[in-house]
Amino acid sequence: MWIEIAARNLRKNWRRSLFSIFAICIGFTAVNIFGGFTAYIFENLRESFIYGGGNGHVTVVKKGFLDQGRIDPVNYLLDETIQSSLQQQLDKLSGIAVVGRQLRINGLVSNGEVSTIFIAEGRLFSAYNAMRERARGVVSAKNYDGRRLLDSNIYEIALSEGLSRALNLTLESDGMVTAPTVDGYVNALDFKVAQVFRGAPETLDDKLLVVPLSFAQSLYDTRSVERVNILLDEDTDTQNFIRRLQQACVTAKLDVDIRSWDELSIFYNKLKNMFDILFAFIFVIVFLISAMSVVNTVSMAVLERTREIGTLRALGANRTQILRLFLIESGLLALIGVTAGLVLTLLIWWGIGESGLSWVPPIFTARNPLEVYLVPSYLMLAAVVFMSLSVIATLSPVWRANQRGIVDALGHI
Amino acid sequence: MPLLELEDIYKHYRMGQTLVPVLKGINLHIHAGEMLAIGGPSGSGKTTLCNLMGLLDEPSRGKLFFQGQPTAQLNDYQSSRLRNHTIGFVFQTFNLIPVLSALENVSLPLHIQNVSSDIARQRARELLEQVGLSAQADHRPDKLSGGQQQRVALARALVTRPSLVIADEPTANLDSVTAMQILDLMQQLNRETRTSFIFASHDERLLSRVERRLLLEDGQITSDLKPECMTG
Repeated sequence: MWIEIAARNLRKNWRRSLFSIFAICIGFTAVNIFGGFTAYIFENLRESFIYGGGNGHVTVVKKGFLDQGRIDPVNYLLDETIQSSLQQQLDKLSGIAVVGRQLRINGLVSNGEVSTIFIAEGRLFSAYNAMRERARGVVSAKNYDGRRLLDSNIYEIALSEGLSRALNLTLESDGMVTAPTVDGYVNALDFKVAQVFRGAPETLDDKLLVVPLSFAQSLYDTRSVERVNILLDEDTDTQNFIRRLQQACVTAKLDVDIRSWDELSIFYNKLKNMFDILFAFIFVIVFLISAMSVVNTVSMAVLERTREIGTLRALGANRTQILRLFLIESGLLALIGVTAGLVLTLLIWWGIGESGLSWVPPIFTARNPLEVYLVPSYLMLAAVVFMSLSVIATLSPVWRANQRGIVDALGHI
Repeated sequence: MPLLELEDIYKHYRMGQTLVPVLKGINLHIHAGEMLAIGGPSGSGKTTLCNLMGLLDEPSRGKLFFQGQPTAQLNDYQSSRLRNHTIGFVFQTFNLIPVLSALENVSLPLHIQNVSSDIARQRARELLEQVGLSAQADHRPDKLSGGQQQRVALARALVTRPSLVIADEPTANLDSVTAMQILDLMQQLNRETRTSFIFASHDERLLSRVERRLLLEDGQITSDLKPECMTG
């Protein structure tokens, strides 16, 4: 009976009800579409770091490297003994898909006439390519001209587009790099440009090189590496794997630091923080607009039905029953609004998927499909928040109405 | 034991800084099965007295006992429950819930009691039949005439089988014929069910047909004509 009274009152004042339902529906949809878009961005940033950058889920460096490595990189490299011992421990652990190695170097790069500084990443391409092949979404898109780099072609390297332009080093051109070895001697190596890649950060675009690990080691005259990257079979296994690896390293007395991908991806964390703040900001604004609408609808309903409240109280309804009646009404409003919002969210999600819309993400040059993810936790959270909002918005006007005397309410016109 | 006992009841309302006295020392006993009409000019305090007797309001001073129980000690839950189970109301403007049908309006007090829907509807149907509105059971209030609405209100007041029905100006919005029909119906129900009825009215047609008449003037009872006085 109470649900029927509530439903009929909503139908009776359908214009006002519709406005509130619309506000909740649009609010719910806006929050979920924006949340779904940020989830898509986060997912691709994550993929970009783990798979696209060949960093894997877990990175092992020498203890102290993350603090002191920039000042004194040579003393914080993983030498062959440590690498071998670490590999033995990794061989005992399950859940590993790929193990890669990296050595970052820097020095001068020259086209024979002009020199400029470079920062290079020496990669084990067999592992790096295996990681990239597992990437999904925008990360799997090709962002270079030329051919893939291979470990076997030790002197074939990749240049960032800006550096290629600055030194006029096009595909198949020859150049030279110079850098100090770990022992402090100056070393130089010739190279051939096999690849020019896009999407480097603007400030580094005229400095970046990607080289085979052997090339980097040869230039530095070392067999050491800076880091070992481990890609896992399952994304969700990272923390558990880190615990197992830490235990194994302690047993093997390996002096290493083990970090998960999200501890190392500064860009991901910064962007995520920014989007989280944006999301919270939008959520609060949308929430307030919807709340105002529900408060207005319930307040108007309570005011218009003050006499009805008086009648119900005279017939023996207590204050809790009056509150329950209006809570059912606002709960129904929220339920219909959230359901409509869910339908609209699904329609937009389906529409974006079907429309083939594309965009150019900030660190990419090629157009990529625009996607919005459906995030069950956001949907649940938004539903709970909007339902709670309706309940809270009902409490104050009904409480005020309940405080009026019955005679006063009956005399209300 | 009287159904209602009023001992030295005062009621005043505050209007700004001023206290406006409405009832001034009312003493009254009403017994089960009685039919009492309260007459008097506008502003004499009839409605206020009805509200106090129906536990819709509290006296400023004095004691009110309902079935021997002091009402001042009741909290909101207890007084709501007492109203729901033992008192029925018929309002001048009917006060039916506009979104409910006649049948649903009548069954409403039983729903407040959490009586099962089937039993409530069955009981409401019986009451509508008693007031001659079976055919209009599914009609909403706006599809009913004033007389029909007042019959629905009467059925609603009686559906919980209360000990007392309080009707404030029940015929004020009705034409003469309908007013007399409603009054006949209430008298019939009073005889058949021994339910007590209290009316507040200026309507001489109504007052003249009730066995006990109370005249209220300026917040005080100036005459209480009981059956023995009327016949004697």
